[in-house]
Amino acid sequence: MRLALIYDTMSLLERYFTKLVRNPTLLATNLVTPLLFLVLFSQLLTKFGEFLPATSGGYLAYLAPGVIMLNAMIGAPQGGVSMANDLNSGFLSKMLLTQMSRPAILLGRLVTDMLVVVVQSVITIVLAILLGVQFSTGLPGIFLVLVTVAFFEFALSGIFLTVGIRTRKTETISAISGVLFFPLIFISSAMFPVSFFPSWAQTISSYNPVSYASDVTRDLVGGGLTLSTFVSAYVLIGAIALVTFAITLYQFRKVVS
Amino acid sequence: MGDIISAENLVIVYRDGTRAVDGISFNVQEGDFFGFLGPNGAGKSTTIKVLTTLLRKTGGKVTVAGFDLDESPGEIRKTIGVLSQETSLDVDLTGRENLRLQGRLQQMHGRELDDRIDELLKLVQLEDVARKPVGRYSGGMRKRLDLASALIHRPKLLFLDEPTTGLDTQSRTAIWEYLEGLNKSEGLTIFLTTQYLEEADRLCHKLSVIDRGKLIASGSPMELKEAVGGDTVTLVLSDSSMKSRAKEILKDVPGVVEVIESDGGVIAYAKNAGQIIAGIVTTLDRSGIQLSFLSVSSPSLDDVFLRETGRRIRSDELSRRETEPFLM
Repeated sequence: MRLALIYDTMSLLERYFTKLVRNPTLLATNLVTPLLFLVLFSQLLTKFGEFLPATSGGYLAYLAPGVIMLNAMIGAPQGGVSMANDLNSGFLSKMLLTQMSRPAILLGRLVTDMLVVVVQSVITIVLAILLGVQFSTGLPGIFLVLVTVAFFEFALSGIFLTVGIRTRKTETISAISGVLFFPLIFISSAMFPVSFFPSWAQTISSYNPVSYASDVTRDLVGGGLTLSTFVSAYVLIGAIALVTFAITLYQFRKVVS
Repeated sequence: MGDIISAENLVIVYRDGTRAVDGISFNVQEGDFFGFLGPNGAGKSTTIKVLTTLLRKTGGKVTVAGFDLDESPGEIRKTIGVLSQETSLDVDLTGRENLRLQGRLQQMHGRELDDRIDELLKLVQLEDVARKPVGRYSGGMRKRLDLASALIHRPKLLFLDEPTTGLDTQSRTAIWEYLEGLNKSEGLTIFLTTQYLEEADRLCHKLSVIDRGKLIASGSPMELKEAVGGDTVTLVLSDSSMKSRAKEILKDVPGVVEVIESDGGVIAYAKNAGQIIAGIVTTLDRSGIQLSFLSVSSPSLDDVFLRETGRRIRSDELSRRETEPFLM
């Protein structure tokens, strides 16, 4: 049974990555926002860096980790979209009619999405380095950044998997992610330091998980990661992951049985 | 040979309370080509979903390949292949990749899987396009590939839910030939649902006619047609309000077994209808009932359905019988 789980997950990974290679526009579209944000904001708001502490390395150094983290939010809806498509096309029923391991259906999708987010993040990191961002923690730091972004993506993907399984509508998933995206990233520490925000926005930002994910990524890139930043971010993301995964699993079991 | 499917008093009730399948019983023997014939919404697809473990039944006792449906769905899935009504292939993958994925999900691998894929591509004549994405396949090609993917793990029992609905004549005939071959040469047991009379008539050794969740007749196509009681004489009246009068009159014509009312007139069943046709026309004429159309045909499965339900099987472009219009 355990072997089947691994074998079937690998088979589905092969399926999803073949699809990605055949439809490169999907990956390209996903990369437009982070790459554009990175270039536009850093090149247009050059003077903004003057307001930042001298040690910070300018606005680009502040912005880049936030943008890397954005990949998690952009990748999160993919699993839900794919699940809705497979439910509608009958492909999910077809999989359920085989002898395959049931959890592999979910696992294959989750692992794919995390790997895709890692690929997107690597491309973003390369662009950031080309623009002059210093990754002072080196490869181990970059590795931890990728783990963090993938973990955050996993935590968020449950929301969209649940919506996808329940509504079977990709439009609903796009609408929800569209509505959540801008408020979540702009009222957080992802793009701008919260010290520039009015107090109400600072309050919202202090509860916004995107802030926690951005802060830990920023510290992993620039160095100076404190245990408390790391623990609070991982506990919060872990808690979100636990809740969203539990709901996804509940919805998924209803479909499977 | 023993029963490969046995269903006793199968009941399927939807969450909204609809009784989709209302206490049906049937047996399918190993090696059979068995069919469920009925109009849209009769309960055919629902029955297939339950027999293939995709949907839970509400009541009754069902065994498939010797396993209880509720207790051993996993064992049943190993034995069966399913071709669902909607073609479910990944259009981004090639034909070969689709078969490979399906085979791997059926826990096959290595040389065994590769050989089986080659064998099936040859069977459904898709070797030439096997490396093209399925998105570029025609409807008929997709159906053939889907059939191959249902057969990948060498099932003993194949379920087909309306396998030729929406296909052109050529693709339909191709599918029929594959199925007949698989049943005859490999002894594959086939359970098919269809709304096409010609399909049921040509392929199935045994049929159950289903309507509104109930079985209304069972037997071989020949037995079912014989039970209609003879040839069918279809009479369309110039004035359809005369239907019941015509029915009364025709009942007394010697040789007429039964008369029923239909859309624009009446249908009479008679042994050797050709010999009494003159009598029918004269009798009606004498009573002042004008005919606008008359035809004589051998009984079809549609007549079986009509006799039991008073309706014809709908949306059936294949059922145009070989009629021989007389007069008018």
